[in-house]
Amino acid sequence: MNAPLHETSPTFDPLRARADFPLLTRSVHGKPLVYFDSANTSQKPAVVIEAVDRFYRQHNANVARAVHALSEEATTAYEGARAALARFIGAGSPGELVLTSGTTMAINLVAYSNLQPRLQPGDTVLVTQMEHHANIVPWQLVCARSGATLKVAPISERGELIVERFVELLTPEVRLAGVTHVSNVLGTVNPVRELAHECRRRGIPLLVDGSQAVPHMPVDVQSIGCDFYAFTGHKMCGPTGTGGLWARRERLESMPPFFGGGEMIREVRFAGTTFADPPHRFEAGTPNIAGFVGLGAAVQYLEGLGMANVLARERELLAYATDALHSVPGLRIVGEASGKAAIISFLVAGAHAHDLATLLDLEGIAVRSGHHCAHPLMQFYGVPATCRASFAFYNTTDEIDRFVAALDKVRRLLA
Amino acid sequence: MSAIGPYRDIVLDHHRAPRRLGRLAPPAQAAEGVNALCGDRLRIEVRVEQDRVTAYAFEGECCAIATATASLLGDLALGRGRDDLALLERGFATLIGGGIAEIAELGALNALSELARYPARRKCALLPFATLSAALRGESRATTELPA
Repeated sequence: MNAPLHETSPTFDPLRARADFPLLTRSVHGKPLVYFDSANTSQKPAVVIEAVDRFYRQHNANVARAVHALSEEATTAYEGARAALARFIGAGSPGELVLTSGTTMAINLVAYSNLQPRLQPGDTVLVTQMEHHANIVPWQLVCARSGATLKVAPISERGELIVERFVELLTPEVRLAGVTHVSNVLGTVNPVRELAHECRRRGIPLLVDGSQAVPHMPVDVQSIGCDFYAFTGHKMCGPTGTGGLWARRERLESMPPFFGGGEMIREVRFAGTTFADPPHRFEAGTPNIAGFVGLGAAVQYLEGLGMANVLARERELLAYATDALHSVPGLRIVGEASGKAAIISFLVAGAHAHDLATLLDLEGIAVRSGHHCAHPLMQFYGVPATCRASFAFYNTTDEIDRFVAALDKVRRLLA
Repeated sequence: MSAIGPYRDIVLDHHRAPRRLGRLAPPAQAAEGVNALCGDRLRIEVRVEQDRVTAYAFEGECCAIATATASLLGDLALGRGRDDLALLERGFATLIGGGIAEIAELGALNALSELARYPARRKCALLPFATLSAALRGESRATTELPA
């Protein structure tokens, strides 16, 4: 939004960007692949695959342990990735970014290290109806241990958070609020700055789940004003098993370790151990070094494209697909928030989501079907499952045409 | 429109027009089959006389694969006993697991053999079998999803 690396570039060419992804040239069931499951995991550009390959071929060693050259190289690469990621999300410094295996790990870290020690019977944690299980279950687990309860801010039928209700629910016994930046099912973009402002006024820490935001739009965690921001690497062109938790330095310093082991200590004696400073305090054991080297390359790649360009391109694809899907008889889009991200969940009258997804797969088209790790949201809409097409900048309008034609064909087959 | 993959014509036919849909008049043995993760839910009722299934009915909200299997299973179940059906259930699991190309006794259910290429969908076809088996054992619930 405000960083120079997020400015729009007139040189952005989506078809050239598509050519950076080797997997997108393959066929499935004898048909050219149409990959519309990027909200599940993104595909990886060649530069990321090559960075992981190069690390293992030329620089592989453990980090922050040995004095030899390879270990220095590995440490430099790993910490370089941290610095690149921190810059990418607008962190104040690399020290504010804990590298985790993904969003789930990041949220669990906050649940056990920040929340649980201060949770008392009668306290509550506030989430929204549209959360992914990763932003529900960790809170439920620590609530169950402490006699606290979870409460839920409602959404509208269109899939928008009812902000007034959220604010009303920010009562004095709330110890933490957890909100997704972008819904993985509905595509709704929540007004996280406004929510952060309301939470801050009441002294309630806010965790934002950025899994579906960081890959698709410029994100500046400091301007959002939340207390914790969690995200995952594999949805943003990086390898699986990577991600991060951002929090201000003083916040991280106040938190005890969650996992114990090597790497996170200063001095270990049987009489007691002193711990490393954040972020290393929370990174026990050997991390996914090669994965983060790949994620560093992914960040560099996305910066090269420009996140404003990514956002603009995906908005075009969303508008095109939404319009085209309206021509399919019996199709209903679930989640119609204004300004939503490029995710379309849908139902087709008389056709089960899994049947649609299997039949689309036979046409070479990959969409997700099921509950999308959001049972409470499915319950809200009264459906067991939806189909979900999710787009990334490397998709094309031709692919959307093929998808809509195939969907119409399989709909007839099941009718 | 031609059928594709596991959606052969006979499967689509039984999905569109399921046979023996509904409930039986008492006395009947019944079980509910629920795959909570995909949202499939069905109820199978059977009447057993002299150790043989003499009546079969089902109802529920399921995908096409589970609905067609439940419908085709009625044809298979009538006139058979519990042990015979248990054997056929194992045979059907082997068939859709890709372990064997065809089992003559399964009749039209062989149309689902293509599920060998769709491991994620096998539980859909196995749900009616597991539910029938539960009803015959006097159990009330069945699932073919592993506990999460």
